[in-house]
Amino acid sequence: MEIFETPLPGIGVRYEFDTANGRKIGVLVHRDGRRELLIYCKGDEDSCSETLELQVHESAALVELFGGTKITERLSDLKHDIQGLAIEWVSIRDSSPLAGKSIGDGQIRTRTSASVVAVLRGEVSIPGPGPDFVFSGGDIALVTGTYEGVAAASRLMAG
Amino acid sequence: MEIDLALIELGIIMLTLAVLGRLAVRVGLPTIPFFLLAGLFFGNGGVIPVEEAQPFIEIGASLGVIFLLFMLGLEYTPQELNDSMKRNVGAGVIDIFLNFVPGVVLGLILEWGVLGAVVLGGVTYISSSGIIAKLLTDLGRLGNRETPLILSLLVIEDLVMAIFLPVVAVVLAGGSAISGAISGTVAAAIVLIVLTTSRKFGGALERLLGHVSNELMLITLLGLATLVAGLAEYIHVSYAIGAFLLGIAISGQIAERAREMLQPLRDSFAALFFVYFGFEVAPSSLVNVAIPALCLAVASALTKFLTGWWSAKRIGLSSKGATRTALTLIPRGEISIVLAGIGVSNGINSDLGPLVVAYVLMLAIGGSTAVRFVK
Repeated sequence: MEIFETPLPGIGVRYEFDTANGRKIGVLVHRDGRRELLIYCKGDEDSCSETLELQVHESAALVELFGGTKITERLSDLKHDIQGLAIEWVSIRDSSPLAGKSIGDGQIRTRTSASVVAVLRGEVSIPGPGPDFVFSGGDIALVTGTYEGVAAASRLMAG
Repeated sequence: MEIDLALIELGIIMLTLAVLGRLAVRVGLPTIPFFLLAGLFFGNGGVIPVEEAQPFIEIGASLGVIFLLFMLGLEYTPQELNDSMKRNVGAGVIDIFLNFVPGVVLGLILEWGVLGAVVLGGVTYISSSGIIAKLLTDLGRLGNRETPLILSLLVIEDLVMAIFLPVVAVVLAGGSAISGAISGTVAAAIVLIVLTTSRKFGGALERLLGHVSNELMLITLLGLATLVAGLAEYIHVSYAIGAFLLGIAISGQIAERAREMLQPLRDSFAALFFVYFGFEVAPSSLVNVAIPALCLAVASALTKFLTGWWSAKRIGLSSKGATRTALTLIPRGEISIVLAGIGVSNGINSDLGPLVVAYVLMLAIGGSTAVRFVK
């Protein structure tokens, strides 16, 4: 799945993607942190049939309902603060090419220059997993490196 | 100034604005034209001329211009300015060529001199980013595919103003074309330096301005903005430009905080500015300029439409999206009036004020109405 990012000068950043059943949805992140949920028209993907404004705490609640965690959001804020250093949580789905493989076998660092610094498995956190650590579906990996490296790693890991 | 009468007058004016503003929002129109109408009503030759509150409103109006332009400068990050320039520079150039023309041509026909024509060109060029951003939000169009293009064009217009305003202001204030060119070059250089280095040196300004206390930061901002504006006016670069360049120089998180803090101040004093601009125009003088203003409005609505249509088609938008782009760009507003204000205070022509009031009334209302017709 590809998420498109469009900067909107003076307003914020817009993210959008196509769902499997052919609809397009998006999220507009205002500069002051408010979110807007964008549902695009059926048939005419240039305009929205519905836009819904969410306050910061409302979007956080929605994210939680959809299965993310608040940690993710705080870390995504961090991403903007540190020049040249990107940090991202990447979910390993069952379909991921890395599910069932170890970090060493996946050659994440060799191929993307980014490193896996921690893994969340259910309620358990595994800080600093070694090269022989084996991923399984449902793991959430914390990846850090350059922006390009992290983006490449998350593509590689998400499959 | 009798303080009691002044306060009563000011209170009545503000409440009138509040009522008119609510009315405007109710029918889905921008507030600017209604504030201008209130100014006509209370001003010279109006129905109930205001007397005691006039001096305060005059200073309030200057503060309004300072905040309007300071925040226009704060509005976009250097990153956004860079991106917009890179992506839509072609559309930006077309925008300049097409939309300066109606004003310049009318200025020449009316024999206001080259300078008067150029100022009027600026009036027809600059779309109202305030009105347009509000329209996009209200109509739920921030998600639309044409929106980044529209916003980019507004950003580029903002940048063009950064170079255009200082040149015009200096030439108007009696400098030669050469000293205008020099101050324009200086302004352009400042803008370029600010844009390229603000990332490196932004920290210093941030430390100077920033304070954990909102109260102290607000007072620092106000002091700095008014001082820089005043100094700019002193060296015959309009105070509006001083505030604008200062706004551009401030970026990063401090700009974010400044925007939030200054917005209520800008809203209140900008309202006074629109009223004051209406004050200066006698309603009867609108009759004389009605026909030229109408021609100007129609011509420059068409040129903006063409600009929007062409830029939208260029990036492959559907005809519907292109129509939305074209119509959305039509409203002119606050900066057109600021420009006219600079022209009026330098004595271009006594008809400039009434003409621009009539023009902005037509395009702010007409443009905002037209965008609603295409879904």
